[in-house]
Parts: sequence; C-alpha cells; structure tokens
Amino acid sequence: MSLLSSPRAAPYLLLLPAILVILAVVAVPLGVSLWSSFTPYNLTRPATLYTFIGWRNYQRLMQEPDFWWAFGRTLVFVTVTLNLELVLGLGLALLVNRITAGQRVLRTIMMFPMMFSPILVGFQFKYIFNDAVGLVNNALFDLGLIREPIPWLVEGTLANIAVMTAEVWMSTSVFAILLLAGLLALPKEPMEAAKVDGCGPVQVFRHITLPFLMPFIFIAMTIRSLDVARAYDMVRIMTNGGPAGRTELLWTLMARIGYQNSQMGMANAMGYVSILTSILFTVYFYRRLVAARRYMEGVE
Amino acid sequence: MAVRGMAGALSACVLLVLAGPALAAFDYGKFPGTTVKVKLIGGTQYEKLYTRIPEWEKLTGAKIEIVSSKNYFDLDREIKQDIAGGTINWCVASNHTSFAPQYGDIYIDLKEKIPADELALYVPGTLQSSEIDGRLVQLPRVTDVSNLYYNKRVYDDPKVRDAYKARFGKALAPPATYDEFKQQAIFLANPPNLYGTAFAGKDEGMTGRFMEILRANGGDMFDKDWNPTFNSPEGVAALQWFVDLYNAKAVPAGTVNYTWDDIGQAFAAGTTAVDLDWPGFAAFYNDKSKSKIAGDVGFAVAPTGSAGKRGGWSGSHSFSVSKACPTPDAAVSFVVFMTNDESEMMEAEAGNLPTRTKVFADVVAKFKADGNAYMADMFQTWQTSLAEARTPPLVPQWIEVSNVVWPQLQAAIVGQKTPKEALDKAAADARAILQDAGLLK
Repeated sequence: MSLLSSPRAAPYLLLLPAILVILAVVAVPLGVSLWSSFTPYNLTRPATLYTFIGWRNYQRLMQEPDFWWAFGRTLVFVTVTLNLELVLGLGLALLVNRITAGQRVLRTIMMFPMMFSPILVGFQFKYIFNDAVGLVNNALFDLGLIREPIPWLVEGTLANIAVMTAEVWMSTSVFAILLLAGLLALPKEPMEAAKVDGCGPVQVFRHITLPFLMPFIFIAMTIRSLDVARAYDMVRIMTNGGPAGRTELLWTLMARIGYQNSQMGMANAMGYVSILTSILFTVYFYRRLVAARRYMEGVE
Repeated sequence: MAVRGMAGALSACVLLVLAGPALAAFDYGKFPGTTVKVKLIGGTQYEKLYTRIPEWEKLTGAKIEIVSSKNYFDLDREIKQDIAGGTINWCVASNHTSFAPQYGDIYIDLKEKIPADELALYVPGTLQSSEIDGRLVQLPRVTDVSNLYYNKRVYDDPKVRDAYKARFGKALAPPATYDEFKQQAIFLANPPNLYGTAFAGKDEGMTGRFMEILRANGGDMFDKDWNPTFNSPEGVAALQWFVDLYNAKAVPAGTVNYTWDDIGQAFAAGTTAVDLDWPGFAAFYNDKSKSKIAGDVGFAVAPTGSAGKRGGWSGSHSFSVSKACPTPDAAVSFVVFMTNDESEMMEAEAGNLPTRTKVFADVVAKFKADGNAYMADMFQTWQTSLAEARTPPLVPQWIEVSNVVWPQLQAAIVGQKTPKEALDKAAADARAILQDAGLLK
C-alpha cells in the first residue's frame, strides 16, 4: 500500500494504462508468435500450437536453400531500393526546393504515388511490364527498337528490376517529402556565409546542405527500411515471387508458408529471422543518425 | 376387366409408392426469428445467385446475415484464421473441392441432414467429389472442367489451312491429342501478334495443368500409399510438353506468370489461337463489348494424352454448413435452396456448369429454344468432359504439395533445370510434407 502511495510510484502508475495497452497489442502477439516458431503450429490444427519442437523450424530454415535465396534477395532488394529512393528523392526535393511558384501543387503531385494501394501499384506495373500487351514493350515495338517482346517479368534480372522499379516509383516520394521538410528547415546563414567565402553550389551542397540533411536522411532510411515490407502486395501481384522463385522475397515466401500452406510455426520462424534483420538495419541507421546529429552539433 | 382394373390400380399405387420419394419436394421448413450467418464467395459472376436469398427468407421466415463476401483465397485465409482462433460463429461458408480437405472436421456431414432422394438429383460424380473420408462436407454449386476454345478466324483461314495440310498432310482441326495440340500451337504461333496458346504458369493453376497432362499420359500424382509418383516418365513427358511450347515461343514468355484472367484476356484479344480453359469464359469470349473474337469462338473436348485418356482436372464451387452452427436445419435448408433446380438454372444461364443432372438438359433446351446455339454447344461439349474428370487428391496437404510443385515446374519451363531434375526435387519436397503429415512413413 505504502509502495503504491509513494511519490516514486506515481509516474509508473500513470504510465500503467499505456504499458498495459502496449503489452496487449504488441508484446503478447510477439510473444505468441515467438512461441509458435518453436512449434509445428498449423492454422487448421490449433492443437499443434502446444507441441514444443525446440529449434527444429530454425534448423530446417538453416538447411533450406530457397529460404536463403529469398533472404539474400530481400537484402539486395531493400538495399538497392532504399538507396535509389534516397538518391531520386533527394534530387526531387532539391528541385522542388528551388521552385518559388507552384511548390505546393508540386508537393501534392509528388505525393500521388503514396496514395495508391500497393495492390494497385502491382497491377499497374504488371501491365506496364507485361510481355504481350505491356506499355513498355509496345513502346519499344513502335519505336522499332525491338523485334521480339522482352520478357520483363520472366527473365531473372529483368524481373527483379521491374519489381524494384515499381517499389521505387511508389515510395520515392516518401524520401522526397521528408528531405524537402529538411531543406525547408535549413538555416540560411551558413549557406550565405559559405557563398560569401566563395564556395560553389557543389561545395555548399557537400559541406553544408548534406550534413544538415543527414539526420533527415537517416530518419527516412529507418522508416523506409521497416516500411519496405509493404511491397509484399505489389510483388505478390506482379510475379508472386516467381517465375521459379526468381523474385521470391522473404515476405512472399512467409505468406505462402503461413497462409497458403497453413504452416504458421515455420512462417513465424522466418518472421523472426526477418525481424532480427530489420532490427540490425534499424540499429545501423540509428547509429548513423546519432553520429550525424553529433556532427551537426559540432558544426553549430 | 375388374381384375385387370384392380391390377392396374395396384400397379399404379406401387409405382406411386416407389416413385413417391423421388417426386417429393424438399421441405425447406419454417424458421421464423432465426438468423443464419454466412460467409460467401464474392465477385460479379457469383453474386447473381444471391438475389435469390430474399426468396428463401420469405419461404422460411429466417434471415440471412452475410458476414463476409470475399474471393476464395481471402475467404480461405479467413476461415483458417477462424479455425486457429476458435471463432467459427457462422453457419454457412462457400467452399471448393480443392480447399475442403484442409478444414478438418469443421463442417457437418450433409448426408445426415439431406434426404437421399434429394441428393440423387445432383450429378453423382460431382457429389462424390464433394465427400471427404466418406462425409459429404459440401453441397456442389457449380462445376469446373476445362475444354478447348479455338479461334475460328485462325482455324478457318484458307491460307493457314492450306499451309498446315501441306506441312502435316492433315486437315487443320481442333487438336484431339496433346501432341497435336503442341504441334498446332507451334505451327500457328506468329509472335507477337499471335501465339499458339497460353497456360496458367503459377499457383495451383500450373500444378493442375501439369496434373491433367500427367493423368492423360497414364501417370498420377501419387500411388495408393501416397508415394509421390509424378516424377515418372509420364510426368517428365507432361512437363516436357510445357518446355517444348515455351522454347518454341508458341506461348507468351510471360505465361509463367499468367493466371486464368491473363489467359482469358489474351484469348479474347485474339492473340492466342487455342485455349484450354473453363466454361465460365464462354459468355465473355462471345461478348462483343469485351472480346475481339466474339462470333468466332469454337469449342472442342480436351485432348487426350499418350495413354489415350483425358486428364480432366475438375472441381466444384460449393456450400458447407459448420458444426458450430446453432441452427443447422435452417442452414441446410438454405444451402439446398441455393443449389436447387431454379438456382442452378440461374447459374447455368450465366454460363456455369450446373451440379444437378436435370439442369444440364434444361439449360441446353432453353439455349436451343432461344436460338443460342453457341451456349448450347458449349454445355454439350463441357458435359462430355465431365464424365472423365477427376479432382486433385482430396487430402489436406494438397495445396501445400502444389506449392512445392509449381515453382519446380516453372524452373524447368524457363530452362533452369531439366524436367527430371525439377520433378525429382518437387517429389522429394512433397514426400517430406506427406511424411510430416503422417500419410507416408
């Protein structure tokens, strides 16, 4: 009783509802899914949730080449799309920042791809890259550049490029908007001082604009590295991980194993490997973010 | 005379008594104040039937509450989640022959609730395919089996016909065997304007097509002890059929990513010559507002394989009643009503294959009376194939097995593996699944 009435307990008591809600909506499902990854849990046989099989699911994963191919492809997918989105988003943000008239309209237009559901984006790009009736092949035929249709969604490298293109189209604007916010918050004085000291535009960008933007870049990278899993619907529609697993990513494989095959225990084991990878990405970006902020403080 | 009259009357009575059960109409019952929760497959082609729901409500005094209306794959996920969460609080769900084995024992045996004489009105083979372990867990609504659609503009073109005759010494006619199908598809292909054919290259669509040719060649997916046997010489020949078409560029390269809609769109656009496909596409192909080949669509029964058989991969859309349903009699009344002669006729007029024997004859007669020879021809062609049709293996692991088979089939088609290598890997993976399930020691 005295413990609860102590002034030290007050903050914890006030936080208790929030803690309970977080436990209910985050910790419990995470705990259950972690437990299920140590069981042969099958959706249509609920009793299997109570059969403990230790590390068997994880051991199977370690020996499964298809899983490791999907894992490696996912890393490449995340790395390439994040970097492309960053470069293109930064370019867009810099261009829009230079415009004085119609900036609001442009900002709104820039956000259009974000408003599409990933499923719609998947269908859109599936038909753009379709080998028989697709926009790209039709354009190339009309220009006389090809005589045979290019199998965009079939050939391994092309299929992955097509999927990445769709992802980059959908999400570059997230980077652009976040970086534009950074550019708008940029103090003018250091830039004017640099110009007075004779710095060219490239030097100003390299030594002032970019360091100021780095925290925004890392925040965007952190958010996007977690958010890139939204590409599931898109990949599912465009290629469903195929053909022959050439575009299989961790989340298309997990969905197939978990929902189509009902092997939720195995799918959750894959999910935990994926979560650990995401955590590594997040930790890396946070460290870079903290380093960038320290650098900024030094500059200031 | 009197004796003859008596004998005649007695005979008539005996006949009436014997015929009585067959003539008795199903009693839909009265369930005032009852609400039946249902999960139904949604989508334009399925929802017309649901306009009959108010009729059943008026007839029985019960109410229908549609708690979910989704496509099969989403509905399947939802039902699995209901099983996992122990939250089955609905009475009726749409089901399918391919999906039904996964759901364990959540559905009642309809044979215990529906009189045998009523069940006798359904196509016997279709009804049998709706059973799992001898239990009738679903009442079939419409049936699917594939046959050939061919583009008459291509097949009737005198130049094409002459060239074919000159090359093969035989008149060009819809293919009767898979070898002939391949030969014609390769001959007729003129990409990118015209491909010989296209096939569903992923998901169960790919596995199903492979299974169809495998069976037509005399092979099968498993032996009686559940050993995978699809990597047999018959299986290798079946997969080689796809590989040959792909390598000859007789199919669009993207066919390995195609599903039914993609193939349907390609045929309707006039970019494929021959199409092994489902009955539901017939009306679409002949609709001038949607199809460039309307008026020029021909039908032929599916080809035979090297064993001289048709492999007809078939299944039915259906309704099931859950064991958790508090009002099973009302639910059974509803599913019988939704598959009775009038309901079946409504579906058949839209181009779906009915599951009641009588409706096949009725719908063909109606189309003939309406002067719609096209649809009458379609029903007669598809009915021929149904006699030889077979479902996929009705085990809970079927979809799981299919999911390890089709990526390997794709790998062979796009040239990553030889057909034998691909099928051996798929068979090994399938064996592991069946061993885990305890079907195979």
